[in-house]
Amino acid sequence: MLYFSELKGKKVSTEDGILVGFLEDLIFQADQLPRLTKLVVRTPNREKISILFNALIRIDQSIRINKQYNLGDLEENELFLVKNLLDKQIIDLKGHKVVRVNDVVIQDKEGWYISGVDIGTLAIFRWLKLDRLLIRAHAAFGIRIKSHFLSWGDIQPLELSRGKVVLKKREERLQQVRSEDLADYLERTNVRNIKKFLDILDDKFSADVISHLNINYQSAIFRSFTPEKAAKALQFVDADEAVDILLSLPSKKRQQIIPLLPDAKKQEIIYLLDLSKTPIGKLITSEYLTVDSGDTVGQTIAKIRLQSQDFSFLDHIYVVNQEKQLVGVFNLHELLIQNPDTPVYKFMVQNVIVVHLSTPEEIAIKKMLKYKIFALPVIDINKKMIGLITFDDVADFIMKNI
Amino acid sequence: MAANGNGKNPLSQIKRRLLIFLAVFGPATITAMADNDGAGVATYSLAGARFGYSILFILLVVTLLLAITQEMGVRIATVTGKGLGDLIRERYGVVVAVVVFLGLAVANLGTIIADFAAIKTTAHLFNLPAMPLILIVILISYAFVFRGSYKVNQRLFLVSSLFYFCYVVSAIKARPDWGLAIKSLILPVNIKLSKEFIFGAIAVLGTTITPWGQFFVHSYIIDKRLTADKLKYEQLETFFGAFLTDFFSFFMIVATAATLFVNKIQLVAGEQAALAIKPLAGNLAGVLFGLGILNAGFMGVVIVSLSTAYAFSEFFGNEGSLDAPFEKGKTFYILFLSQLVIAALIVTIPSISLFQIVFFTQSLNGVLLPFMFFFLLKITNDRTLMGKHTNQSWYNYFATISSFIIIIASVFTIISSFLK
Repeated sequence: MLYFSELKGKKVSTEDGILVGFLEDLIFQADQLPRLTKLVVRTPNREKISILFNALIRIDQSIRINKQYNLGDLEENELFLVKNLLDKQIIDLKGHKVVRVNDVVIQDKEGWYISGVDIGTLAIFRWLKLDRLLIRAHAAFGIRIKSHFLSWGDIQPLELSRGKVVLKKREERLQQVRSEDLADYLERTNVRNIKKFLDILDDKFSADVISHLNINYQSAIFRSFTPEKAAKALQFVDADEAVDILLSLPSKKRQQIIPLLPDAKKQEIIYLLDLSKTPIGKLITSEYLTVDSGDTVGQTIAKIRLQSQDFSFLDHIYVVNQEKQLVGVFNLHELLIQNPDTPVYKFMVQNVIVVHLSTPEEIAIKKMLKYKIFALPVIDINKKMIGLITFDDVADFIMKNI
Repeated sequence: MAANGNGKNPLSQIKRRLLIFLAVFGPATITAMADNDGAGVATYSLAGARFGYSILFILLVVTLLLAITQEMGVRIATVTGKGLGDLIRERYGVVVAVVVFLGLAVANLGTIIADFAAIKTTAHLFNLPAMPLILIVILISYAFVFRGSYKVNQRLFLVSSLFYFCYVVSAIKARPDWGLAIKSLILPVNIKLSKEFIFGAIAVLGTTITPWGQFFVHSYIIDKRLTADKLKYEQLETFFGAFLTDFFSFFMIVATAATLFVNKIQLVAGEQAALAIKPLAGNLAGVLFGLGILNAGFMGVVIVSLSTAYAFSEFFGNEGSLDAPFEKGKTFYILFLSQLVIAALIVTIPSISLFQIVFFTQSLNGVLLPFMFFFLLKITNDRTLMGKHTNQSWYNYFATISSFIIIIASVFTIISSFLK
């Protein structure tokens, strides 16, 4: 994740260090997934050029691009980030002014696109390069401030070319939103609202959204579903996930739902449910390290030195937010190649693979093998991290079963 | 009705146009009148007492400059539908927006303090209890701004504007030399081009043409939701407003020139004018002059504070309109009120030097003004924003010269204040 404020004015140079210019603007496709398509660069002789985004190699102290880069013009359906989005007024459905776009959040993992806008006060301080100061000043009083993020899914791209950022949470538009974003958004409302939204989505998409919700929302929603509806929703959810959800329900409700599932799914779920008699609780270790998303690499390394001396194993560092919820992860290699001043949120992987306390041992171990990770974090229903199950457990499990 | 009365019935057409004008009427006049706030009246009184009728010639120049600069603001607001804060933020980004806003907010707070001080001094002179009076001012502005709509507030300001007629009566009572006064207005008579006079002239200019005035006329037009098709009427109103403002300024200067200057009485502070002219022009003149200052102080306090609140919501995008319900416009309303409260508290501190605050405020306004005009000229010449309403070449010439006069004047003030 990157903020545009950190990119603007940055040096753009080729891989062999020849200066091309300074970044002035970005061009993106104004649609559901706003992919970045061009870098607008001001050359040293004050010319403005648009370089195709595929020339980008990486961003460190400067923006490194390929020696053979191509230029392109603004195409239809493309907009400028600075000219059309940044600093623009955000208005709600009724035309009331809400706030301005203070910064733009850019996703740099899995392709480059705009993931949303920052509308918080912190973003204004970031432009003034006073954000760290503000955070520290607040921390002195024990207050933590965080940026206020508005997902791209909440914005109507059509209105952008008219210079207005309109918030449209109209229901028919929700389907075009990515299910993760929608789940994120829904988690900020209440269960009744979530249900209302899910009702208007098609089964497959609503199952996707459900699987991205956190477990206590999932549980609340399924509790309010009729057994028939619950069964229908569950057949689109991954079996592992489905078991987690079922286990969070009262056993009576669970018994009503299971017979209604389609056969293949039923077999799988019953098998997995059996395993739940050996949940992973007893495997959990508390030898893990968490850092705040705003901590720098330097602070993280200091923390490792200080706190992990007695650890028998350390591979991943987990990142938590102000509410102590697990929001990201990175490994030691990813940490070491970064600058000491870089905050960890910039390079962490946001999509953390987790297991719940109720997850059966076998599923947890399957997950580790499937994703080839040496340790999996265990979280509770509030996404707070409880502990870790490590590769040791896999080894034990295999030894037991050979 | 005869909406299609294209010349067939000239009377009904004039009537129709008059009605539109009256519907549009408000923002430009109110802004211009507010430029004669408590601090403004004090400056005019001081200038009149020190330089007599000769300073009137400056008034003509000031009126022209005020009309031209306000017209640019009016044009931008009606054509783009955006406030000056909106445009600065969208064109120049967060950093410029924050810096300009902070400058404006501090300068405006200084102006509000000066206006409260004018109210306080006048109250003392007339043996009125100052603190309760300030409290009443805050309560009235709270009631109108928080509860009232745009319409209600416009009415309040227009009624308040009527009180400026006090100065006309005061001036008549002072039995001035009308012939000399009019002559001094049109021709440079008896001007002694001393350093003092130049400062006096710049002070008059600086109290009339202010950064907050530029911001406020924008915001107020937008809050009234005037659109580009009413531009002609609004331009007419701007010129009328500039004329009206300095029409009253004329009488302020005449009232003090005919009494204090003629009798060589020096004023320590402009606010004391009301008391000083009493023995010379009679009780009624003095009381009306004092009432005028109280009213001007009230108008200044409310409008300057509103201008900060408007500017904040333009720069940072929260809802900011007199028509917005409290829930939606919370930041706007709270910002408005807190300025009044802070300013009132500062005024009550006895050890604080009001002179220094006023001096600092004027310097800060002087620093801000050149930037304001840079923005105004940039925007009024931007074809993508203004379309066919960009500055026409002859007008641009005029506007640029006016802007430069103001810029030079403010730079002059700042530099010389540091040389002292």
